[in-house]
Amino acid sequence: MSGNGSSWVGKPLARKEENRLLRGRGRFADDIKMREMLYLRFVRSPYAHAKITRIDTSAAEALPGVIATLTGPEIEKHVQPFIEIAPDPAGKIKDYPLAISKVRYQGEPVAAVIAETAAIADDGAELVEVEYEALDPVVDAEQALTDSSILHEEAGTNKIWNGVFEYGDVEQAFRDATYVVNIDKLHFHRFSSTPLENNVIIGQWDPKDEHIYYWCNNSFPSFAIQFLSAHLNVHIDRIRVVTADIGGSFGIKITSYPQMAVCALASKKAGGRPIKWVETRSEHMTSSAHGNERTFRDTKVALDKDGVITAISSRHIDDCGAYPRYEPLGCVIWSQVFPGVYRFKNARIDFSQAVTNKCPVGPNRGYSRMQHLWFLERVVDICAHELDIPSDQMRLRNYIRTEEFPYTTPNGCVYDSGNYPKMLEIAKGLIGWESWKQRQQEALQQGRRIGIGIGTTLDSGTNNFGQSQIVNPGAPFSGNSQGANCKLDIYGEVVVAVGSCPQGQGHETTAAQVVADVLNIHPDMISVRTGFDTERNVHTGFSGTYASQFAVSGLSAVHGAAQKLKAEMKRLAALVLETTEDDIEFGTGTQGPELKARSTGKSINYWGLANIVNVNSAVLPPELHEITLNCRYIWRAPFKVPDKVKKYGSLTLTYASQLHIAVIEIEPDTFIPRILDYVAVDDCGTVINPPIVEGQVYGATAHGIGAALMENCVYDAVGNMLTSTFSDYIPITAANMPKVKYGHIQTPSPHSYSGAKGMGEGGAAPIHTISAALQDALFADGIIIDDSFNNADSLFRALVSKEVGRYSEIVRLERRG
Amino acid sequence: MPIRFNGEFEVKRTPEEVYDFLTDPSKFAPLLPEYQGMSVQDPTHFTVKVNVGVSYIKGVADVKMELTQSDRPKRAEYKGQGSVAGGNVSLVAGFDLAPATEGTKVVWQGEAQVFGRLTSVAGGLLEPLGRKQLQKLIDGLQAALANQAPKTQEMST
Repeated sequence: MSGNGSSWVGKPLARKEENRLLRGRGRFADDIKMREMLYLRFVRSPYAHAKITRIDTSAAEALPGVIATLTGPEIEKHVQPFIEIAPDPAGKIKDYPLAISKVRYQGEPVAAVIAETAAIADDGAELVEVEYEALDPVVDAEQALTDSSILHEEAGTNKIWNGVFEYGDVEQAFRDATYVVNIDKLHFHRFSSTPLENNVIIGQWDPKDEHIYYWCNNSFPSFAIQFLSAHLNVHIDRIRVVTADIGGSFGIKITSYPQMAVCALASKKAGGRPIKWVETRSEHMTSSAHGNERTFRDTKVALDKDGVITAISSRHIDDCGAYPRYEPLGCVIWSQVFPGVYRFKNARIDFSQAVTNKCPVGPNRGYSRMQHLWFLERVVDICAHELDIPSDQMRLRNYIRTEEFPYTTPNGCVYDSGNYPKMLEIAKGLIGWESWKQRQQEALQQGRRIGIGIGTTLDSGTNNFGQSQIVNPGAPFSGNSQGANCKLDIYGEVVVAVGSCPQGQGHETTAAQVVADVLNIHPDMISVRTGFDTERNVHTGFSGTYASQFAVSGLSAVHGAAQKLKAEMKRLAALVLETTEDDIEFGTGTQGPELKARSTGKSINYWGLANIVNVNSAVLPPELHEITLNCRYIWRAPFKVPDKVKKYGSLTLTYASQLHIAVIEIEPDTFIPRILDYVAVDDCGTVINPPIVEGQVYGATAHGIGAALMENCVYDAVGNMLTSTFSDYIPITAANMPKVKYGHIQTPSPHSYSGAKGMGEGGAAPIHTISAALQDALFADGIIIDDSFNNADSLFRALVSKEVGRYSEIVRLERRG
Repeated sequence: MPIRFNGEFEVKRTPEEVYDFLTDPSKFAPLLPEYQGMSVQDPTHFTVKVNVGVSYIKGVADVKMELTQSDRPKRAEYKGQGSVAGGNVSLVAGFDLAPATEGTKVVWQGEAQVFGRLTSVAGGLLEPLGRKQLQKLIDGLQAALANQAPKTQEMST
């Protein structure tokens, strides 16, 4: 008998998923074809804001092959508006999956056509006549807050939420300050994610059992079914959601539940035939979900004589697009990282969110935190330049100190572990900091602009849904949990099911590593089920894949289930082998994985154990009848409901950190920013699988570089989205990626059983880092990087036409000491 | 963004003759670029069919026109709204008429607004395409009225 004898967690095990994915054997939602399946096509609004004066579907319905059509007024009779998370008045918003009487963003679904083929559905959609009466659009969140043109009359205001987050003694800190830096306005741009696979939904409302079945790629199904159940007036247990392989989500696929509702209603109207909707790329760009756009106004920063930040006061306005949907959770999620990686204790943030006539937002890799972290990094760099303190020294003076962990932030969050100075040291070493500083000076002599920027950021994982009660005290959510099941099937195979729905994060592999360690067998001996299925009964209301949490919540659940299975197996084996439980050891023998009595050498393999429980149960004594070898475990995060008035409490369990450094040159003739060198250093605590972690670091880095330099959702003044195809919205590819030097440290988290921290979102570190590098390159020209998106055009407008980034209009330094 | 156009020309016709021409759909509508046909609902409402094509988006747009201002012989204004695959179009075209030495001075203003996917696909092509089409309309209008070339032509956005 031999066991591995050492931990599988931490080993660079090749991903189990690759075997099928690299051989083209993955199963994605659009691969599914069903008997009598119909196809759905949406008719979408060309207007950003307009009344619908007439819809005529008769011509579409007369087209051979068209089975049915759906319009908003028709479905309004059969469904409830979707649940709103916001308190009143925004809670009064009536959100339906098809527009009822007005449209609020370009691309909003107005009608649906269901046909025998996708091509006929396309043709049918062309025949739907819709007449509109254009209304004044609002595409700027600050303007929206004036309520000059209201999107949702039932709410009576465009303001979704406002709250003041104030901690410490802000006034005193400003009175005591040596320096006060005033920053008029900073702006974080709107961008999205561009998963290879767009949204795909197959929905069937089966009249035989009145159940609704979904095969789709929604990435947070347990959230979706809560919304769908109330909306469709169907008991939640009658909604089954199945996902398989998913070609990327990055959070964006969380908010596909409106389209899921339409597919179910279409199926019901079509007599229960399954309905497939495959989103086009342009639909995805205009109307799936975008990341939040945020404006930072009237920022004041107090600093002492050494450049240590003592207080920040600011006003933030978030743009959530036309419908809140997952919002206003973004109004509070940023506060998981309230001080970023910095030590200041006094702060006041006045936070508002508004609806605008743009695509609704949704969670997007780094959701809500990245905007705030970018703001803090801009503050740090602008202050460093103002006080003529090198950017690395500025950070070292302000970082939370290593000995302060676990560190309680001013708003009560507990940073579990970290070592930011060490990460900076490693990053500087990898990039050759001093060498680049010298080359930067040499380049300056030649009239070339090179900038070196640092971005230090956090990836908060496993969130406390109790934070929803800060924005709405009546919200029925708090804590966090995840489920898993671990069993021996009838023939003794170890089968694991989890409540997540991975999109490339390697959950099958890492779950197998965890179980392999518990049972002391090879991970290849463990089958981890692909995808998500409500009928596996391992999900909780929080199950899905989002918010950097699987390594903590998912694997804790898997670990708990495996421990329960192990205990049952040991108890059963002790009976069969006529020994005590303490005498039993786990390992692998000549007949596969087995349990052995150390004292006698007798053993029983997994098949033998499973046989007794499943098909030979008469041999079981009554005291062991409770053994099932089919163990479900629900892991719950140790959270409390935060103080809703003070907005204080633990909002996240783990805090992975990232420190990136970029060297960028702005080409003198073209103004194209070129990355000359790039380093990413990561700390996600105990690493479960190094290649998977490294891959996610590269992925998040690519995503952030794309967002910083290439990807921007541009709207014109009347709400036309000008970047609805990959001709104009240019996603980053391998061809645009610089070579990234990777480093890491491990500061194990005391908040997870393994020491791991959730990771994968990367805190959008490249956006902060690239802004910092461009700032470094251009500060001597009197330019402030005040926007998170920078390309050749914006740099030209800053340097040559001097339309943007004017230092004198943005920043003002007060010396009080 | 709205695309705005304006300009002026003179024709050797009286203001009344020009006005009557402009407000007669059967005379005015065929001058619209890519005109395919029309149907008249009443003296102030008519629908024209025009070909629209930008890149791979091609089709026939039904543009509903309304004579919204009619002050004979000083001013006529049309408003129109139409839809085509990938977008909607709205337009306003006004004509101010004044007696001139040799006939009538026509001062015209126009504004076109395009909504929908067409704006994204066509991008920067929209404005030059719009200018080109409008030039055709004005040229046709002048030719039909007096066979005279325009004196000035200005366009701005």
